[in-house]
This record gives sequence, C-alpha cells and structure tokens, in this order.
Amino acid sequence: MLGWAALGGWFQPEPASFEVQEVSLISAEEFARLSQQRQAPELALDASVLAPPEESAAPEVSVPPVRRPAPEEAPERPAPPPEPTPDPVVEDVPEVEPDPIVPETPPEVEPPVETAVILPPQPEAPQLLPVDRVAPVPVAPPEPDVAVDDVAQPEVAPEEGAKAPQEVQEATAPEAATDRIVTEENQAEEQVVTAPSRSVRPQSRPQRQVAEAPEQPAPAPDAPVERSAVEDALAAALAGGADVEAPEPAGPPLTSGEKDALRVAVSQCWNVGSLSSDALRTTVVVGVSLAQDGKPDTGSIRMLSSTGGSAAAAKQAYEAARRAIIRCGSRGFQLPPDKYAHWRDIEMTFNPERMRIK
Amino acid sequence: MRTYLARLAFYGLTLCAVALVAAGPGAAQSTGPLRIEIDQGVIEPLPYAVPDFIPDTAAAAEYASLIARVVAADLSGTGLFREVPASAHISKITGFDDPVKFADWKAVNAQALIAGAVSVNGRQLTVRFRAYDVFAENELGGGLQFSGTTDGWRRMAHKVADAVYSRITGEGGYFDSRVVFVSETGPKNERRKRLAIMDYDGANVQYLTNSDAIVLAPRFSPTGDRVLYTSYETGFPQIHVLDVGKVQRRILSTDDGIMSFAPRFSPDGRTVVYSQSQGGNTDLFTMDIASGQRARLTTAPSIETAPSFSPDGSQIVFESDRSGAPQLYVMPASGGAAKRISFGSGRYGTPVWSPRGDLIAFTKQNKGRFHIGVMRTDGSEERLLTASFLDEGPTWSPNGRVIMFTRETQGASGRALLYSVDISGRNLKPVRTPDGASDPAWSPLQN
Repeated sequence: MLGWAALGGWFQPEPASFEVQEVSLISAEEFARLSQQRQAPELALDASVLAPPEESAAPEVSVPPVRRPAPEEAPERPAPPPEPTPDPVVEDVPEVEPDPIVPETPPEVEPPVETAVILPPQPEAPQLLPVDRVAPVPVAPPEPDVAVDDVAQPEVAPEEGAKAPQEVQEATAPEAATDRIVTEENQAEEQVVTAPSRSVRPQSRPQRQVAEAPEQPAPAPDAPVERSAVEDALAAALAGGADVEAPEPAGPPLTSGEKDALRVAVSQCWNVGSLSSDALRTTVVVGVSLAQDGKPDTGSIRMLSSTGGSAAAAKQAYEAARRAIIRCGSRGFQLPPDKYAHWRDIEMTFNPERMRIK
Repeated sequence: MRTYLARLAFYGLTLCAVALVAAGPGAAQSTGPLRIEIDQGVIEPLPYAVPDFIPDTAAAAEYASLIARVVAADLSGTGLFREVPASAHISKITGFDDPVKFADWKAVNAQALIAGAVSVNGRQLTVRFRAYDVFAENELGGGLQFSGTTDGWRRMAHKVADAVYSRITGEGGYFDSRVVFVSETGPKNERRKRLAIMDYDGANVQYLTNSDAIVLAPRFSPTGDRVLYTSYETGFPQIHVLDVGKVQRRILSTDDGIMSFAPRFSPDGRTVVYSQSQGGNTDLFTMDIASGQRARLTTAPSIETAPSFSPDGSQIVFESDRSGAPQLYVMPASGGAAKRISFGSGRYGTPVWSPRGDLIAFTKQNKGRFHIGVMRTDGSEERLLTASFLDEGPTWSPNGRVIMFTRETQGASGRALLYSVDISGRNLKPVRTPDGASDPAWSPLQN
C-alpha cells in the first residue's frame, strides 16, 4: 500500500483522449431560420443550375416570373420584386423551361435579410460621393445623428436607476472620406467599380492592464538554458525590479501594432490639402514630448530637420505637422502607460511623398 | 568550484553596479526618442473662422462685414479651406488687439482664425488684419494693413485673402486678379461677342469692345495692363492690342489679306508670338512690339498654332498636326527643332505653360469627349481633370494652382460658360458671369 502510495503516481494512465469541437451559440430564431432555408429544395435545385453570378447579388440575373425564388440579394438593399427580363444578362443561365417539379404555387420567398446568413456579403460600392476629405482609408458617411469627430466612440447613456452618476458620452464618428481624388474625368469609370475596395478594419487592441505580464522579448539564441538564482536577480534588477523607485514605468519596447496605432492616429489629422507643391516635396522631422496621459506638450514641439524644400516650404510643412500632433493628441494618444519611457519623447518624420499630386 | 566562485563574484559586482546606476537620477531610461514615420495623411479643406471685422468708426460698419464675407468667399472658393460659420462661434473678437481666446476657437475646430478691423476716413479705407494658427496658439506672420479708397474695398478684401492664403499654404494667392474673356449673347447661330474684363470671382464686369465684330482669344500682358486679341473687324482675323486702363486699341498686324491669330505675349512683354496663315499654310512667328520686326519660327507645311511661352521665355509649346493629328510640341523660343510631348490617344490642343513652369495645361479631344488636362513639360504624368461635351481653352491662375476654361453645353440652346478647377481635379465649379462667356485669360496679380 505504501509502495503504491509512493510509486503509484508514476504509473497513472494517460488521460483518455477526447475530441474537441468548437461550437457557436445561436438563438432559437436563428436556428429556425436556418432550418427553414434548408427546407427549400427548389432553391437548392435552381442554385445548382445557375452559374454563380460574376458579381454577388447582381440584380440583372434573369429570373423566371414566379417560378423560382428571387435571386439572392445583398443584405443592405431592400428586396426588389423579381422583374421578368426577356433577355438574360448572364449568358450562363440556361433558358428555363417550366419545371415539372416546381409546385404550382411559388415557394415562399425568403426576405433578403434572412438569407444573408448564408450569403457572402455583397461588396459595398466604394465611396464615390464628392466628399471633401481624402484619407488613406475610405470612411462611410456617419449616421445623421452622430457627431463628426476624429475619434469614433459609441454613445453612452446613463442607465436608468443607476445610483452612481454615470458619464454621458456622445456618439461620434469620423467624417466621410474617399481614398482617392475623384475628378470629373475618372468619376464615370469609378462609379461602375463594384469590386470590394476595403475590408472591415480590425478593432484597435484593448488597452493592456498594467498588472498584465509584459510581453517578453525573444531570448537570444545563445542564452543559457539554466538560470541560477543570481542570474535571476540580475535580470530582475535590469528589468527594474529592484527596490528602487523608478520615476516612470519603462516596460518593454512598443510593439509594431502600438507604433502603427500612433502613426494612424497622427496621420488622421495630418492635412496636406492646403500645402503648396513645394511644401509637399518637403519632409520634416518633428520632435515632441508627451505627458503620461498621452497628450503632447505643445511647447516641446519643434522641427528637428527638413529635407527637399525651401525654408519657407519647410515652415509650412512643419506647421501642418504641428497641427496634426496637437489636434489628434488633444485627447491623448492611446499608448500603453506601462511603456511611457519609450514614448515620452518622439521624433515623427512627416514624409508627403505619397500624398503629392502627381 | 573556483569557477563558480569567480562567477559569483562577477555577478555580485555587476549587481552592485546595476543598483548604483539605477539609483542615479538618470537611471530611469536611456532608450532615446521613439521614431515613427508618417507618410499618409488626409486631404481636406482646412477649417477657419473669419468673424466680421471690427469697425473702428461708424462709417466703417458697412465695410466691416462686407470685407470679411469677400475674404471668406475667396478662401472657401479655393476648395482648400472651409469656413466655420458664424453661428458656430462661441467667442467674439471684440478688439483688434485683444488677446484671442484660442480655446473657444479650438472648440469649434477652427484651425485658422482671421481677425481684422476697418476704419473709414472720408473716402479713405484702411483694413488691418491678423491671422492665427489656433491650435499652435500663435500668429501666422505679423499683422498687415492695406489702405485705399472705399471704391476699392473688394480689392482690399482680396489682398487680405491673398495674404492669408499665402501664409497658410506657402504659395502666392490669386484673388486680387482679373480675367478678360469673350462675353457671348444671343442664340448660337447669331451670337454676339465682345471683350469683357472682370475680377477673378466675376465681380465688376466691364466691356472693352462692342459687338460689331467677332473677337477671339484675348491674352493679358505680363503686367496686366494690355490685352492682345484677335478681331474680325477688317473681315479677316487680325491681332489687336488694347490698353486696359485707357480702353484704347490698335491693330498689331497690318498685312492685308494675311490671317494672324492666336497671339500671346512673351514673359518680358516685349514680343508677341502668334500664328499666321498664308497660302494654306499656318506657321508661328514672333513680332517685336516696339519695332514691328518679325521672325519666322516654323516652316513645316502643317498647321502650327496656339503658341505659349515658358515662364523663363526660353521655350515655346505649341500645337501642330505634322504627325497627322494635332499634338503638342516644345521648341526653343527662337525656333528650331521641336520635340513632341503628347503621345496619348486623341487630339491635343491649346497648350498653356504654367506660371510655375512645371506643368502644361491643354485641351484634349478623345472618343467624342473634351477634357482639360495637365502634363509635365516633357509630356509625362498626363492627368485629365475634366470631361464634358466641350471643354477648351485653359488659362492658369497667377499662382499656377487653378485652371479656368470654357465649357459649352450641347444642343441648340447650349451656351458657353466659364469654369474653374484645381490642378488636383477637385473643386470644379462655374465662374459667375452675367451672360455666356468663353476664352478666358487670367491676369497676373495686380499691384
């Protein structure tokens, strides 16, 4: 018994393997909707003979009158009545004879909103409105009741019955923008483009908690595998773990994503539309110091160097860069507080090469 | 064992060193500044505010608002700026020398602020202004003052706008300038044409000729005091020169029976380059205005016309069909070998060299559509800015940023109007004229 107690742990059987399958939860309504779609055999039958439309949900696809469900529609658009068209636009569609298996009464047509769960979303038409703003990423016009602001934020209304006072936040969204200058000459050809020109932008990374373990840099290839207690103490001291009060947190260097977020934040306010051609040929390096809340110290903004243009052009380019830093930093740049020492002082190079009018 | 003791001693010393360094004042960081490069921005109108100027005297109240409105119209009309309306202002400029409450202007996202004051003494009008960079909380350049007569209040407003434009963009303005054009009235088959001149924004239209004879293609001299144009007054086209101030004119080309047209001044204003048609052949010539001495520039049997000097006067761009279809060519101002610069499909014509010297504007006809476009002086980087039933005859703003041209609509009731477009292709808009208008020519900035 004692022997079993002492050595039994060595002979424990491996845990039985089991299969893991990822599942997702859906509501009862969604399940019913999915089931209902599978119960439409005519839809499946017709789908097999129909060539896939070249562009998803092209409304020109010929549909026999009341003999088959309406063609798949884009989720955003209201369901137009299936218009009989004598000349099919899509050549692959065979001429449809009266199908003997089709019941006399047409099947109930699913609303387009419901069919959206099994369809790839139709690419939205690119932003072609003659908006005043040209940005690297096109932005759809905000909702009418949403205030225009550089930073998008949801509306926060106080909960009813809440005891503690809650801060009310107005919904804001960036101004509508196109990603290219659309002239009268290229406007017509732009309007027929239906290929997707953008994808959903990934959400910004949630701000990391200070208590969270910081990302460790990759170990050096020749790092010793075994670490002694002294080495651990040395590493802790080097990492600031000693009992010394550091004036500000250091943390590991900023990740590429964090740098990109800062770059994007500044670029949204870097307006080169009013710069001269000479200023658009001028690259300026601007130095700025940030407070721990991410707000720039306006007095610290200075031009460190410039290349490519005259002194007057450099001045205009610097002023545009300074406006960008101050405007988009007015609420504080979203930077990890635990890495403050790494972003307290920043040198930003504003290179207008890609923004120049060719 | 000895090795282990040695390592222990080494680590101990190192720990002490680290502790000492960490305790020092500069211990926190030595990482250096974070460096990022921003190579993508936005292109959008810059928001600005221009509250009504402050009237120093009761008589100035009338002009205080008018001048501010013209300044706003000038700036917003460029498409580069967007006015924050007065209804959104939460702060007022109560005194020209009072400190500006930048926070109030930041709150309405005004990035530039123009504050001014107006005083009137008899017929003497004085306008002062200051421009501010709101977010940097400093002044853009120093204060500036213009004086003139009350009749010239619009010009003073344009000068204020030019100064503000220049301080923000870094390039010269174009608001205190004029446009000479052909005013057109009557139906298409019986159109009456006369020369007219106006401010760049369509104000203060004056007619320079009557409608007895057809007039074509007016062109300003480099100083803006004279206008060359082609008139059919004698029954066939001849070049006239007109003194704008005195409205006096004279024929420049006096050869009977020889058609002369498409004149344009050289940058120094002493020479005119033009086309002359004789015996079915059209070639380019220059004429010294003072002496009347002429020089032939081209001898090809093809049609050469629409010449335009480069700003330095060393080259001429022109239109020729020597390749079979109208294309653009560049040659030395004294004549000689010409180099073709347009190679796209379609027909190219009416080239005009930019006052900056970097671009050539042109008319292009392709696939039944007309375009106004720009290209580099070597023909590269061609960009078409417009497209319509009929666009033609571009002319450059004094700063080379905007192109004005003629747009004619289709059909029997179609009429010609003036349009302008930024060289980026944005801000395409009609120019206000009382009647139909064609053949615009932009003056240099007025003194």
